[in-house]
This record gives sequence, structure tokens and C-alpha cells, in this order.
Amino acid sequence: MRDRMRKAWIGTLAVALLVSLAWGVNEYQSAKQYRIALDVQHQRSLQGIAGHLDQLDTDLAKGAVAGSANQQVLYLGRVSSQSEAANHDLAQLPADQTGLSYVGQLLAQTAAFANSLSQRVAVGDAISPAEAKTLNDMHTRVIQVNRKVQDLLVRTNTENLAWTGTPTRFNLAGIFGRTQVAEAAAEGQAGSAPHSVRNGLEQLDTSLEKLPPLKYQGEYSTRSVAKPLGLPAGQVSRQQAQSVARDFLTKAGYQGLVPVPAGETKGPLAAYTFTAKTAYLEVSRQGGVVLLFRDQRPIGTRTLSAAQGQSKAAAILHALHWNLAFTSVEDDGSYIQLAAVSEEKGIYYYPDKVRLMVALDNGQLVGYDATAYWAFHHTRSFPGPRITLAEAEKKLPAGFSLTSTHLAVIPRPGNREVLCYELRGRYRGEEYLIYVDALNGKEEKIERVIHTPRGDFIQ
Amino acid sequence: MLSRRRLGVTLGIVLSLILSTVALGALGDRLLSRGTNGSDVREMQAKLIQLGYPVGPLDGKFGSRTENAVRKFQQDHGLKVDGIAGPKTIGELSHLTGSSTNASGVALGNKSADVNLLAHIVNGEARGEPFIGQVAVAAVVLNRLKNPAFPKTIAGVIYQPGAFSSVSDGQVNKQPTASSIRAAREALSGVDPSHGALYFFNPAKTSNRYIWSRPEITKIGQQIFTS
Repeated sequence: MRDRMRKAWIGTLAVALLVSLAWGVNEYQSAKQYRIALDVQHQRSLQGIAGHLDQLDTDLAKGAVAGSANQQVLYLGRVSSQSEAANHDLAQLPADQTGLSYVGQLLAQTAAFANSLSQRVAVGDAISPAEAKTLNDMHTRVIQVNRKVQDLLVRTNTENLAWTGTPTRFNLAGIFGRTQVAEAAAEGQAGSAPHSVRNGLEQLDTSLEKLPPLKYQGEYSTRSVAKPLGLPAGQVSRQQAQSVARDFLTKAGYQGLVPVPAGETKGPLAAYTFTAKTAYLEVSRQGGVVLLFRDQRPIGTRTLSAAQGQSKAAAILHALHWNLAFTSVEDDGSYIQLAAVSEEKGIYYYPDKVRLMVALDNGQLVGYDATAYWAFHHTRSFPGPRITLAEAEKKLPAGFSLTSTHLAVIPRPGNREVLCYELRGRYRGEEYLIYVDALNGKEEKIERVIHTPRGDFIQ
Repeated sequence: MLSRRRLGVTLGIVLSLILSTVALGALGDRLLSRGTNGSDVREMQAKLIQLGYPVGPLDGKFGSRTENAVRKFQQDHGLKVDGIAGPKTIGELSHLTGSSTNASGVALGNKSADVNLLAHIVNGEARGEPFIGQVAVAAVVLNRLKNPAFPKTIAGVIYQPGAFSSVSDGQVNKQPTASSIRAAREALSGVDPSHGALYFFNPAKTSNRYIWSRPEITKIGQQIFTS
């Protein structure tokens, strides 16, 4: 009896051992396949970075000597796309904190700078000596990065350099006589030869960190202003801000709701923050105006149509002493979102935007964002259109069927504002908004209108 | 020989029965409520998940989690909250998950790639934070697009190595909630409660010196937003 039991046990254990061995081999095989697949991807990315950096270096060199605007635009465009492609590949490689790295930053800055320069050269501007110097600085750094990456590439090929230097505690590859993972003792130390690709990139970062930061005017920041242009003068105290918030809530239809101080925000649009039940408010320190309001109350069954919601919104704007024109409506089911801009003498000022949300159960305001208005609103000094609407329409392609026109001030990259004719219409089955500069007749911007389930959308 | 013929007939009957069930089971042909099963329930579940209302496994069975998802969807979309998917609820679901079109009605696809990816990062980074904090997290991603030091696409910013911890630990792959999707959409419409912040972090969980060295703009919920 005991003998039989023992045999049964041995049998069971033997089967269990066989099963676990088979499982282990299977796991090892699939892990190996994953590793190969990942290896190939990493290799492809590193080759990609090396290739793009090499081309970037060459294009920067050629662009520096190019004399004609056409050649400059060509090479600046290439510099921009090669930097972006190199950055894209860099993002595929294993790294700890290269997300905040200097290499990535250098490549992104080069791409942005070259792109904004090429746009300006394309419309007739010249590259200033300071800009040429910035480009030259970038080139010097790109050469340094490129040299290091080419070296890393050579080392991965000749020394079978590992991708990451993290030592594994139990390395099956080691047991089976393969050396895929290098030992790592001094991760992140510059100076010594890198022992992994990740380590090499970290060293590169450390060496770039020692260089002074690149300085140039960010042409990309269309949204931020160093100083808000529209805020009323004078600072308000927290108590004054609180009474502004209370007044706002009353006018928006929240009777007797008391805002409670929650904190404050810093920066150009510094504000006091408040909460009131499910609502959040921000009141600016300068000028004491409501920047942001959002109520997260549960919204009941819909009783209003989008059009009824919009007339409620108009009434709320009136109560809050705004004189704005609605430019878009989005239907989210339980509420609508509206955008409104300031309008003077028939001109729409798109930078001066206020966003509203109106609940469709009772028509109450549940969202309000006037940040853009207070950041950008100011008295403009456009001389008035120098070309007529008829002249602007001549810029449209033959067969464009116009549905509406407007004068509008639109924001452009580099914190510029341009007075334009907004020409809305259809062409070959698509709907467009085409903006023609009202001063010089240049075609400034083209937007395409699409219909989404929530409303019209411009892209 | 005879049995083979009988088998063929039986198979034919079974197949035609299955086909008729499929034909009958198109979404919107019947009221769907707790206890109903079928391909139409599965289709509805897929739409609910797409819009951020988790239903548990996508199994074509209308159970309690599916009912909760339907109720939440109804509440968020101004519909009568009864947990039963009738023509209005199904109509709204189909409408919201439908395709965008150009001016002449050509379908252009769902066009929600940006919203969807932003919602994933909001879900991964700010689940459990106040709604306004979720909008702020989405706004940080969009602020980076405008800064020369960062990549120029939403995917580029989000998948930048080491940029977001939820990407490193896989949390970003979880299905986003309706709240994350709404926060993403609000940020894309231009709302920025972060006031132009480029970084955010939870002070209780972060030791990264670089992030701590950035000037603070605001604190929303547990997260500090910095420039």
C-alpha cells in the first residue's frame, strides 16, 4: 500500500517536473523571441537617429552657406524635418529620464527654430545675424551629438553593446552561454566609455548639460503672453476677489452660494481660487475678474434644445455685461459648449475668446473660461482694410462658392495678430474658411470645416 | 448516406437559425435591459466602452455592470436614467460613436485620435483627481506642443521616454473613463486651468530634482503644476 502511494507520488512529481520544464522552455523561447523583436526595433531606432543626425549636420552646413531665399527655405525645411525624425527615433530607445533630456530638447528646439525661420524667409524676411548665430550654435551642438551617436552605433556593432546596463539577477541567457546583457557598475558617469546604449545617451546628456542654454525668441508660443493685455489695472485682495466670485455666482443663477477660498495660482494670470459646493472658480489678482468657473454638479434629464441653450447663454452673457458674438456650438448631450468672441464694428476678434457651458436640464451656466479674453484683449491699431472684399475674393480659386464673409482679427504664430477677410464657402465638396490679409491681400490661413457628432469642427 | 443527408439538413437548419438571430439582433431593433443577451448587446457594450463607460468583459450579456454603464451614460447625456437601452439611448450612443463627415457627407472616420490619446494620459496620470485637475493634466500635454523644447505631436509628447510615469508602468493603456475623455475634450477646446504649466507632479510621490526645481504655478488636488 505504502509502496503504491510512493510510486504515485513519484509519478505525480515526475509529471509535474516535466510540465514545469516544458513550461519553462516555452517561456524562455517566447522571451527570446520578444527580446529579438525588441532588439531589432532598438537597432532600427538607433540607425534612424544616426542617419537623421548625419543628414541634419549636412543640411545645417549647407543652409548656412545658401545665399538665395529659395535654397534657405529648402534647407531650413530639411533641418526641421530631420530634427523631428531624429527625435522620434530617440523616443523609441530605452531611457530613464531622456524625456527631459538635453538631446531631445536640442533636437526639438532646432526643429522649431528652423521651421519658424523657413516660414519667415518664405514670405520675404531675411535671416538676421543673431539668428544665423543661433543656427550656428545649434549646428555645433548637433555635430557633438552626432559624433557621439555614430560612436555608439559603431560600438553596438563591434562590441555587441547592450541596450540597457541594468544587470539581471537571474540571467537565463548567461546560463545558456549567451552574453546579451553587460555588467553595469557606474551608470550615468561621463568620461568613461559607455557600457550600454542607455549609458551612452546619459553621458551625452551630461556633456550637453555643461553648455550654456540656447536662447531665442520662441515663435511657437501663440498662446502665452508674458503679461496679460486685457486685465483691468490694480490689485485686489482675497476678500475683494471673494465678493467678485459671489457676485458672479449670483448673476449666473446660483442664489446664496458662498465661495470658499481654496488657494491661489501664480504666473502672469495669477489668481485666487475658490470652491463653492461642486464648483471651482478663479478670480484674477490684477483687476479682480473671473477667469475660470466650472461646476461639476450632476446634470438632470435634458429639457432644452441646443438653440434654447444658446439663448440662455446669451442672456447669461448679457447679465455678466458681456457684448460678444457666438462663433461655435458643441452639443455634449447634457450641456452645450459655446465659444464667443468680442465684436466691434463688424470685426470679430478671435483672440478675445470666452467659452461657456450651459446645462440643458435648466439652462444654468456650468462652465465659463474668459482666460483668453483677459490675456489677449487690447485696443488694436489696425489702419482698416486696405483692400476691398471684392479684391480679397479674387484670391479664391475659380469655382469656390462663397457662403459668408466677415472681417476678423486672427492670431498667428509669433504672437502676431492679422486683420483678415474671413471667406467661408465650399469648393469641390469641402467647406473652408479662408483668411486673406485685409492689408496686403496675402492668403494667411486655410481652415477646413468638418461635421462631427458633436458639431462643426475646424481643422 | 442517409445519415449524412440528415446531418446536412440539420446543419442547414442550425445555420439558418443562427443567421436569423444575427439578422434580428441588429442594435436598435429591440429594447435592451438587464438579462438580455446577444450580438446587439455586445455592440452596445463596445460603444459604451469607446465612450468611457466600463462594462466589464465585452461578452454580449446585459448584467449589472452594463446596466450601471448605461445609467451613467444616460445621466451624462441628459437622458432619462432607467438603465434600459431604448431608441433614444441607442440613438445617442450610435450618434456619438459615428463618423465625422466633410461638407458633402463623405465619412471621414471617427476623428477622435487626439481626444482618445489625451484621455488615456489623463486617466493614467490623474485618475481620482478633481475634474479641473484632469483638464489641467491634458492642458500640460497641449502646452508642451507649443513649447520649442518638446515634440510637436500629442503622441510624441506622451510617449517621450520617461516623460510620464503612467507610460512607463503601462497605466496609460487602460481604457479611459468618461470623465477623462471629457477633460481631454475640454483641454482641446482651449481651457487651461494649469495656466500654461509644462510639468506636473504629485509631491508625495516624486523625488525628481529637476521637477522640484521648477517654479510652481498652481496646485490642484494632489498635483503641483510648474512652468
